[in-house]
Amino acid sequence: MTKRKKDPALLTRRDAAKIIGATGATFAITQIITSGPLSPEAVEGIGRSTHEQGAAADRGHEWHMVIDLSTCIGCQYCIWACQAVNAVPDDRMRWNVGFSEQTEGGTDFYMTRPCLHCREAPCVKVCPVGATWVREDGIVVMDYERCIGCRYCEVACPYDVRRFNWGDAITENRYQPTWGEAEVEPRPRGVVEKCTFCVHRIDRALEYGLTPGVDLHASPACVEVCPVNARIFGDILDPESPVSKYLAQNETFRLREDFGTEPKVHYVRPEREV
Amino acid sequence: MALRQLSFKRPSIKPLTIWLASLGLLLLVGAAGALRTFAKGLQVTGLSDQVPWGLWITIDLSAIALGAGAFTFSAVVYVFRIERFEPIARPAVFVGFLGYSSAMIALALDIGRPDRFWHPLVFWNVHSVLWEITWCVVLYSSVLVVEFLPVLFESALFDRWPWLRDWGHKLHRATPIVAILGMALSLLHQSSLGATYGVLSGRAIWFKPSLPILFILSAVSSGIGLTLLVTILVGKFQQTRFLRLDLQREISRFLGYALLAYLYLKLWDWAATSYYSHAPGTAQSLARLNATTPYTPTFWLLEIALGALLPLIVMLVPRLRRDDRWVIAACAFVVVGVIVNRWNTTLSGLVAPPDWSPGVLGTGAVASYLPSMTEVAVGLGILAYALTMFTLGVKYLPVFREISGDE
Repeated sequence: MTKRKKDPALLTRRDAAKIIGATGATFAITQIITSGPLSPEAVEGIGRSTHEQGAAADRGHEWHMVIDLSTCIGCQYCIWACQAVNAVPDDRMRWNVGFSEQTEGGTDFYMTRPCLHCREAPCVKVCPVGATWVREDGIVVMDYERCIGCRYCEVACPYDVRRFNWGDAITENRYQPTWGEAEVEPRPRGVVEKCTFCVHRIDRALEYGLTPGVDLHASPACVEVCPVNARIFGDILDPESPVSKYLAQNETFRLREDFGTEPKVHYVRPEREV
Repeated sequence: MALRQLSFKRPSIKPLTIWLASLGLLLLVGAAGALRTFAKGLQVTGLSDQVPWGLWITIDLSAIALGAGAFTFSAVVYVFRIERFEPIARPAVFVGFLGYSSAMIALALDIGRPDRFWHPLVFWNVHSVLWEITWCVVLYSSVLVVEFLPVLFESALFDRWPWLRDWGHKLHRATPIVAILGMALSLLHQSSLGATYGVLSGRAIWFKPSLPILFILSAVSSGIGLTLLVTILVGKFQQTRFLRLDLQREISRFLGYALLAYLYLKLWDWAATSYYSHAPGTAQSLARLNATTPYTPTFWLLEIALGALLPLIVMLVPRLRRDDRWVIAACAFVVVGVIVNRWNTTLSGLVAPPDWSPGVLGTGAVASYLPSMTEVAVGLGILAYALTMFTLGVKYLPVFREISGDE
C-alpha cells in the first residue's frame, strides 16, 4: 500500500475523489451522530445525577442498618413512613416489606426488610446500562433516567427488593401527610425503583454537618419513625455510631449470607439470648 | 371489459391467499396488543415483580436459538469451506434473520422504556452479560443483513437496478470474513443467554456453569433443526427438492451428533444437580416447582424424550433418517423442545424464589405467572410476522434453489 501511494501515477483522480469523499462522509456522519441526542453533552446529561459516589468525597462513611426483631412490635410505621416519604402510594410496590412471622421455636415476630444494600450486589453486576451501582459509601442507588426497564436486576436480586413501575404513577397517596410528605419525585412508568436508605436525607445531612443515625431527621424515614428504636442506622466506620455500638453489643446475622452478597442490613434474632 | 377479464382469470381463492389473509389477521391482533402495551405500560401483562420475565422473554430466547442455523451453516460453508452445504446456508441465513428480527420486536415491547433501547450501546456496563448480549445481537443482526443482501438483490424486484446486484455480488465475496465475525458473535451471545441465568448466585436452580454451554448446544441443534424442517417442508409444498438426498442425510446426521452432545451434557448436568446431590437450594426449588407446575413432566417428556432423544435416534439411525416424514417430525420436536426448554429455564428460577426470611411462615413461597391475553396476542403477532416474511421470502426471493440437473 505504501509503495502505491509513493507512485503518483497510481493515485488516480478517481482515487483522490474517493478518499476525499470518504473523509467527508465520515466527518459528516460523526457530526450527525455526536450532535443530536448522542452528543457528549446530551449523553453526559443522562444519568448518575442523584448520586455521584456519595456526598462530598465521602469515602469515610459506610452506612449500615440493624433491625432488631426482638424489639420490633410490628406496628408497620416504618413501612408507611417509607411509602409517604419516598412517594410509593402503591402497596404492591412497597420498598420496605413486612409480614408476620414465626420462628421454628414458635415465637411470633414481625419480619421487615428494606433493600439490603449488598456490597456484592447481584443487581448491580447485571444491569446492561449501569443504571444502578454501589456508591463509595455503600448505598445501592438507581438512576431512573438511564434505566431501560429490562428488569434483569429484579431477576438477579434474591431478596425481592426491586419494584418495577408497571403502570403510570398513582397520584393519590393515603400515607401522606399522616406519615410524612414526599421528599423525592415519583418515578416514571417503565423503570425499576427500590429502597435508597433515604439517600437524599443522608447527602443533605452531611452538607449541614448532621450525623445520619444520630440526628433522626438525617436518618432513613423508617429509622426516624420507629417508636421502639428497633431500627438502628449509622456509619460502620465510626466506632461511636449507633450502628457500630449495636453490632458490638448484640449477636446479629444477615439474610442468606450463603449467597455471597454481603448485605449491609443486619438482624437481631427474635428470641434474644442476652 | 376489465371486470370480465378479472372474473374470468379468477377460478377460486388460492390456498396461499387464505394463508396470508389468516396471517394478516394475526398481525392485526398482534398490533392491537402492541398498541395496548405502549399505551398502558407493562401492567397489561401477567408479569409481576416476582416473575418479571415470561412469555416474551421465552419468545426472544427461542427465536434467537432457532436462528442459530445461520451462524452454524455460514461457519460450515464459509469458514470451514465445506462448500457442499451451500444450498442450505441461504435458507439458514434467511431463517436466522427472521429469528433475530422477531426477537428484537419482542424485546422492544418487553422493556419498560422502548424509547431508551439505545442506552446499552451508549452507557456501558461491561460486567453485564445482558450488555454483551445486546451488543452481540445488534452486531450479529447487521452480519445477517450483510449476508442476506446479495440474495435480496438477486430477486426479480431488483431487475431495474443492476448496479445494486453487482454491489451485492461484491458484498457476497466478503462473506467468509463476515461469517467469521458472525460465528464469533454467535458463540458469544448464544452462550451468554444461558449465562444470563447461570451467573445468578441467588437462584440455585439456575446457578451452574453448564447453562451457557447447554444454551449454545441446544441453539445449534434447534437452529439446524428448524432450517432443515422448513427446507424440506417448502420442498414438499412445491413438489420439489432443494437439498440433494445425500446432503439432506448428512445434515440430519450432523443434527444427530449435535443433539448427542447436548444430551450428553444435559445428562451430567441433571446427574450432578438433581440425582447425585440433594443440595438444599435446587432440591427445594424443584419440590416447589413440582407442587404447582408441570415442570418435571415437561422436562422429561418434552425437553428430553421428544425434544432431544427421539430426534437423536431418528437422525442417527440410517433407516429412519432416509424417511422424510421421520425427519420432519424429528425436526419439529427439536423446535418444540427448545421452546419448552427456554420457557422452563426462565420460569423455574422465578416461580420458586429463594427463601430469605429467618422465620418459618415466610419460606416456601411460590410465585405464579400466566401470560395475559395481550401477551398472547403480541406473541401470535410476532409468530405471524415471522411466517408472513418467510412466505413472502420464499415466493419472491431466491432463498431456495432447485437442484439443477447436472448435480
